[in-house]
Amino acid sequence: MINIKNLEHTFAIGKKGEERRIPVLKGITLEVKQGEIVAILGKSGSGKSTLLNILAGFMAPESGSVKVNGQETSALTEADSAAFRLANFGFIFQNFQLMPGLTAFENVELPLKIKGLSSGERKVLVEEMMRKVGLTEVAEHYPSELSGGQQQRVSIARALVTNPPVLLADEPTGSLDSETEQEILQLIQALNSTLGLTFVIITHDEEVANVAHRQYRLHDGELMKGEKRHAV
Amino acid sequence: MQFKDQVDFIRQHMKRNKLRVTTTILAAMMGCAFLIVLASVGFGLHKTITDDVLDNRKVTEIEVPSKVESEEKITPAEVQTMRNIPHVEAVVERSGVAAEAMAKIGARSGYVNPILSDLKEEQKAGLALSEGAMPKKAEEVVVGYHFAKALLTDEEREASEEQQSENGFAGSLIGQTFELELTPYEGEAEPASWSFTVAGVLEEPAKDWMSDGSVYLDDSWAAAFNEKLGTGEESKSISVYADGLPSVGAISEALKDDGYYVYSVTEELGSMNMFFTALKAGLIFVGTIAVLIASIGIFNTMTMAVTERTREIGVMKAIGAQPKLVQKLFLMESAAIGIIGTGIAVVLSYAISMLANWLVPIIIKSSLGEQDSEGFDMVISLIPWQLVVIASIISIGVAMVSGWRPARKATQIDVIQALRQEL
Ligand SMILES: Nc1ncnc2c1ncn2[C@@H]1O[C@H](COP(=O)(O)OP(=O)(O)O)[C@@H](O)[C@H]1O
Ligand SMILES: [Mg+2]
Repeated sequence: MINIKNLEHTFAIGKKGEERRIPVLKGITLEVKQGEIVAILGKSGSGKSTLLNILAGFMAPESGSVKVNGQETSALTEADSAAFRLANFGFIFQNFQLMPGLTAFENVELPLKIKGLSSGERKVLVEEMMRKVGLTEVAEHYPSELSGGQQQRVSIARALVTNPPVLLADEPTGSLDSETEQEILQLIQALNSTLGLTFVIITHDEEVANVAHRQYRLHDGELMKGEKRHAV
Repeated sequence: MQFKDQVDFIRQHMKRNKLRVTTTILAAMMGCAFLIVLASVGFGLHKTITDDVLDNRKVTEIEVPSKVESEEKITPAEVQTMRNIPHVEAVVERSGVAAEAMAKIGARSGYVNPILSDLKEEQKAGLALSEGAMPKKAEEVVVGYHFAKALLTDEEREASEEQQSENGFAGSLIGQTFELELTPYEGEAEPASWSFTVAGVLEEPAKDWMSDGSVYLDDSWAAAFNEKLGTGEESKSISVYADGLPSVGAISEALKDDGYYVYSVTEELGSMNMFFTALKAGLIFVGTIAVLIASIGIFNTMTMAVTERTREIGVMKAIGAQPKLVQKLFLMESAAIGIIGTGIAVVLSYAISMLANWLVPIIIKSSLGEQDSEGFDMVISLIPWQLVVIASIISIGVAMVSGWRPARKATQIDVIQALRQEL
């Protein structure tokens, strides 16, 4: 499903000519199979988000290869990369990243609108997804009227509604209290086992990483296999 | 994204910033309305003057006052040559009589304006009658529409000096015989009278303030008048008539090539059209400056919109929206501001134009007084559909151009940076 090989990335900061180079990823190799939950653990600043951003196509790596579904994605144009994301990825962000001017329903509907589906088709899909994540009650609420956990459910519904094969989550519970965190993690596990969805979860939290089938640790720009514990 | 959803999307955004969007639309509207109203004055004046030219004369008439190179009179043979120019319907030679002319029927009398002409040729030239027929005999004449009104009794004449009165000869003039008394302007000759019968009455002149008290006589009378009164031979004015307005230009050219001075509607309108086209272009240009000023507002509004929505744009792009779509949504928003502003401006401009056309003549008339303003008939402002099209293209075009850079900026937003923004 996902095949990352010898991925390297270095940031340059400071003025041109006297910039300081910060190697963040030093030859990452990772394979994720379909239906797997993979967690990437690491301290803050270890380069987890950078890895995910490259995988998502938000930025291009310095060198190395990223293949998703057999397609090399590291060198796509901006437009092709957007089209690829729309078809293959769902995103779950730490800050939920909902549109404040749209209701929960409309937020979930957004990717389908971008895809060009008619409002009739959208209604069916969105309602089904809202049911799956347990949001039917608050469909007409705006994000500001929802709790953190509800907002993250909206965000998950939005990520799933286009039925993408891969879900990318950057600190999905980073803004939630521990009780709500458990709720969301259970939802992720349920979606994985019932729908066979592939998850790549990035986190600094061991607890979160425990839902994964496999764990990796990012340290000093290198990825190491972490000890696998049994899921909760 | 379906077009309907794109429109919805824009509407939602515009609603969220109602005040800012409304004021920007207001500015765009004022710019466009200024452009339309300003240019409409050019169109109005052009129409006023064109109408004036077309109303006061026959549009197919080409006057030929003289030759260019010599003082010689135009000879009958040369007139005949003019008749052979393609599309010439008729060539009429008219002359006046150098005498005061008074028509009399019984106790009624009035001053009239005798015109000597070839009535057969006049008929071909399209002299239109409201009543009766063209003369068949030399003693028969055609009279102007207001001929009957000019014939007053002495009492009526006194009364008409005190107040306006609708008097004059009542009933049909056709078949009426009248005396035409001619008193020469110069010389010792005694006044003399001739008897004529009215065969036809001309149509009413185009403008209601014009009065036609003419009498068209066969030109064979010139010799008889000259013999009795010693009026001499009046110089003839020559008019060439085309078979339609489109051939006026070609005939005018042919006459000029033959060495004649030519005066026709196309000549007159030609130089006028050039002047007014330049005037209108100038006014549109000045108006466009107002539109450009308004466009600064659109630029600001759109730039602010892009800045404010950076995070949302980032989310859209992250989810998989094409950069093209993002650009299109912002361009559509600035176009919407332009379109709404222009729509309101067009309606407003028509209202202002109507108001101006109603109000300005009233003001001018009241300052000129009753007498001078008679026949005052002018279009202050005219908005033809072409002006609406031009102004709309300029306003909406400028709105889109000013939205271009902000829209580009929106597409260039970096997803990672945008998502990092605080909520
Ligand atoms: N755009 C950038 N320019 C320069 N340095 C960056 C940039 N983005 C991230 N970094 C640096 O790269 C390192 C890894 O960052 P990040 O991937 O966000 O870490 P994590 O998500 O693991 O906290 C950090 O030291 C950060 O300062
Ligand atoms: Mg991070």
